[in-house]
Formats: sequence, C-alpha cells, structure tokens
Amino acid sequence: MLNLLPLIQNETLKVWKKKRFYVIVLILVVLIPVFTYAQMKMAQSSEDKDWRSKLLQQITDYQNALSSDRIPEEWKTQRRVMVQQLQYYLDHDVNPNSPNAVTFTRGFLDNSITLFIPLMVLAVASDLVSGERTTGTIKMLLTRPVRRWKVLMSKAITLMLYVSLIVVTTAVLSYLLSGIFFGYHGWNQPVFTGFQLQGSEVDSSQVHAVPQWLYILMQSGLIWFSAMTVALLALMVSVLVRSTAASIVTMMAAIIAGTILANMASSWHSAKYLFAVNLELTNYLEGTPPPIEGMTLPFSLFILAAWSAVSLIVSFVVFTKQDMMN
Amino acid sequence: MSSRKVWLAVGLVSLASTVLLLAGFGYAVRDLLAPGASVSFRTEAPEPAASPVPAEGYRIVALGDSLTKGTGDATGEGYVKQAAALLEEASGKQVEIINNLAIGGMRADQLSERLNEDKSFARALTQANLILLSIGGNDLFQFARTGTGSGAAVIDLELASKRLEEGLSRLSEVIERIREVNADAKLVYIGLYNPFYDIPELRSGSLAVQDWNREAFRILHEKGNAVLVPTSDLFEETIAFHLSSDHFHPNHAGYGKIAERLVQSLVP
Repeated sequence: MLNLLPLIQNETLKVWKKKRFYVIVLILVVLIPVFTYAQMKMAQSSEDKDWRSKLLQQITDYQNALSSDRIPEEWKTQRRVMVQQLQYYLDHDVNPNSPNAVTFTRGFLDNSITLFIPLMVLAVASDLVSGERTTGTIKMLLTRPVRRWKVLMSKAITLMLYVSLIVVTTAVLSYLLSGIFFGYHGWNQPVFTGFQLQGSEVDSSQVHAVPQWLYILMQSGLIWFSAMTVALLALMVSVLVRSTAASIVTMMAAIIAGTILANMASSWHSAKYLFAVNLELTNYLEGTPPPIEGMTLPFSLFILAAWSAVSLIVSFVVFTKQDMMN
Repeated sequence: MSSRKVWLAVGLVSLASTVLLLAGFGYAVRDLLAPGASVSFRTEAPEPAASPVPAEGYRIVALGDSLTKGTGDATGEGYVKQAAALLEEASGKQVEIINNLAIGGMRADQLSERLNEDKSFARALTQANLILLSIGGNDLFQFARTGTGSGAAVIDLELASKRLEEGLSRLSEVIERIREVNADAKLVYIGLYNPFYDIPELRSGSLAVQDWNREAFRILHEKGNAVLVPTSDLFEETIAFHLSSDHFHPNHAGYGKIAERLVQSLVP
C-alpha cells in the first residue's frame, strides 16, 4: 500500500493538470444558475396560490387521469403512488417543494443521477488508460520498475477519489449557487422516506421523516455508488478501446440506452439485469416505483456491484496481459 | 501552487468526501432496509384556523363529478372557468378559482366519504366564499354509461326511480357535510339534466331527473344559503347543440349556457 501512494499522487496530479476537473466545475457553475433561474420563475408564477391548494389540485388531477381507460397500467401505478405520497405530505402539513437552497440541491441531485453525474465521471474516467495510449505515455509509465497491476490499481483509486470529489462538488456548488436566489436555509426541513411499494399500493407504515441534510447525505451516498459503477465500467472500456473518443461514446451510448429502456421496457423483465437501468438508486429513497417490476434496492445494488466487479476483473486481466503497441 | 500542495489538497479533500459519501451510502442502505425511528419535527408555524376570506371578490372551490371537471369541453374550460370569467365581468369584482376538486365518475357517496375523511379536502372548502357543486348524475345514470355512446346505452327507467331515493339521501349527506365545513359560503348546485332526451324510449328519464331536481331543491332550501341552477331545459329541444360527442357530457357551448345561468343567479 505504501508504495502505491506515490503512484496515486502521480495519477491524481495528471488528471488535475489536464484541467478536467476545471471543466467539470465550469460546467456546473454555468448550468446550476440556469436551473436555479428556471426554478425561481416557476416558484414565482405559482406564488399567489398557497401550496396546499396546489398540492390538492395536483392530487385531483392525478386522480382524474387515473379514471381514464386509455392510460397504460404501469403509468397508473406510478400516479397512484404519487397521489398517496402527496396526500401524506398534505396530511402532515409539510410542503415538499418549499423553495430553498437545500430543496433545490435535493432536486438537482435527484435529476442528475442518470445522466449528468455519469457524464462528468466519464470526463475523468474515459481517458485514464486510453488517453495514455493516444499520447504514447503508456510506454513511459510501464517501463518503470512497477508492476502493471499496481499502475492500474493506482488509476482505479484515483478514479474513486475524483468520483467522490465530483459528487460532493456538485452538491456543494448547487447549494452555494442556488442559495444566492433562494436563501441558505432549509437544512432541517423534514423529508419523508421509506415508502414501500407493494404492487400498486404504497405501504406507508415504514414512512418516517428525516431532516433534509440527512436525506441529501443518503442521496449523495447512493449517487456515489452508481457513479462508481459507471466509473469502473468506463475504466474497463478505456482499457479495451484505444481511443478516448471511442471510449466516451461507448459509455455514453450504454448509459443513454439505459435511461431510454427504463422509460419504455417495463414489460421486458430481463432488462432489469442491465446496469444502466439500475443507476437511479435515489428512486428507492424517494419511493418512486422502479422502472421494471421486481426491482428492489438490494437487487439494484447487487446488479451494480456485479457489473463493477466484472469490469474490474476484465480491466486487470487485460491490462496486465496486453501488449502495449500504438 | 506547487504540485505537492495540489496533491495534498486534492488528496485530502477527496478522501474526506469519499468517507462522507460512504457514510451516507451506508446510512441510506440501512435506513431503507431497516427503517429507523422517525425524527420528530415541530410543525411549522400553525396555520390560522380559517384564513380570512376577503369581503370583496369571489373565491371559488368547485367539487363534484365530471360535469364540474369539464369533461366533453374541447377547450377544457368547463362551466367553472367560463362562469368565473363571466362573474368577473358581471360583478366587476375579483374572481379566483382556488381549487377544482371534481373527479370524473364521482358519486355522491364517494364525495361525502371524501369530505368526511380527507382533511385537506375540507380545508380547501373553508377558503371559499362560493362553492360550486355538481353531483348525482353518476348515482342516477351510472348503469347507463356502460354503453359506448349514442343509442348503445340501455337505460332502465324503473331502476332509475329506485336509485332516486338512495341517491337523494346521499346528496343530503354531502350538502350537510359542506355546510358543516363552511356555513358561510354561497353554495351553487348544478341541477341534473337528461342526456338521453333525444332517444324517444328514454325521454321519460326526464321525469326521474325532475323528481331529483325537486328533491334536491328541497334539501338545499332546508340547509340554507344555496342556489340550484336548472339545466334540464338546455338539453331538450337544443340537446344536439349542447351535448358533446360522448352523448353524456355538455360541449363547450353547453357549459357556456350553464355558466351564464349560474352567473345570472348570483349577480343582477
């Protein structure tokens, strides 16, 4: 472990000097104000009505949609669940959308888990190995008296460090930037979690309130886990594919395909074994019905862990055996 | 910044982040699989029991069945929105629709259950000074709606008169409950019409409808501060112009006529 540390230092600095992380921060700094502004406009346009009436109207609208015969059953299930959740918030006199920086952060993280965070992770992960091939520095690296698996190990650990950094930076920046508009309060506002789905019914016996800061911590932890899966897969692709561009495209295609599938494949049951369908771990926290019936948190964690493990094994086997030629 | 400093900063911050995120992940998994005790929160500043209703202007809450929802109106306005616009014009006062809580297919017993059990439903009512209500059509005609449209519907008129009594006692419960929740608001009840008037063998359904409306008026009269807006004559000779293609709900023009009458009953 001790002689791994200089290698990790080396890798960390390489990523840093390539200014990848600056780009990520820059993207966040540009995009978050855009979303904040949109959110603010939305909050303003609906300010005149109080939130209880709005919530009640939303419930009524969903219930009306439920009575239509032309709506697919799985969509109805989702609506039913939402109705019960909104009703729960209403009964307990908690506004689920009160605009403040913490609520914004919660919403932003929730929406970024499927595409935004993976994309930023790819910015770092996809050229960890293939980038060195493109520039030819891989030969320099491997001619050093260090075993190959240690080189790859140091890359994997560096990747993990950057994934953590990306998730935390996203959360911190969205809090800091949205706070300018919404104010920095809301840490202790209650959020309900623990909605258990039994078919189309919500079992609310396990529902409990957690303060919003704890919710965001849990959310970030789950995001980190799914981002790590993406990172390790990207590392594998980066080992297998020679060009960085190809490796980014491959991974993006896989992830986007997953989000599309999650929206349309509810009757194709074996799709639930694909990693990209399982990325949205925060759904379980929120109580949104999973895209495919039968998916649960342990199931998704297991699938993601399995994909991660396989890609790690493939990466190490290929990287240690491979001939390095340009 | 020297490389060493960058490494120290990046390394330590990201290591701390990793530890934090792992803790969050662990907590989330534990919390989802074995939910912990709920943290108790003090409820936010208690709401004033009944928010003050401004003396000027109309604050509308509409509830009931698909008629209030506006089913059949291609523009989606229904009588509620049209009436609000007309009311604003006629009275010169501000009109606000707080909520339209109508749900398609709702029967009177479902509505009274909802009013009794759903606190938020009742809370919305307390905010209104004008309550628009349409209910009973599904109690009376529900069995006739299984048909897909004109002609196909088979209506058993004897059954209709049997339903009448049961439906009216439900209606009485609904109105009583509304008055319990909000005794001050003006209550406007939209009378029933016979959507099958143009089918000769079903024309006599109008008799059941009139019986219903008469009894409904009696109930409203007893509970006070209420108006019944008659609609049945709109759907007799001119039924073809006022009914939408589902042959059950009014169309935009039909709703417009209902809205006009509603406003006539409120503003000189």
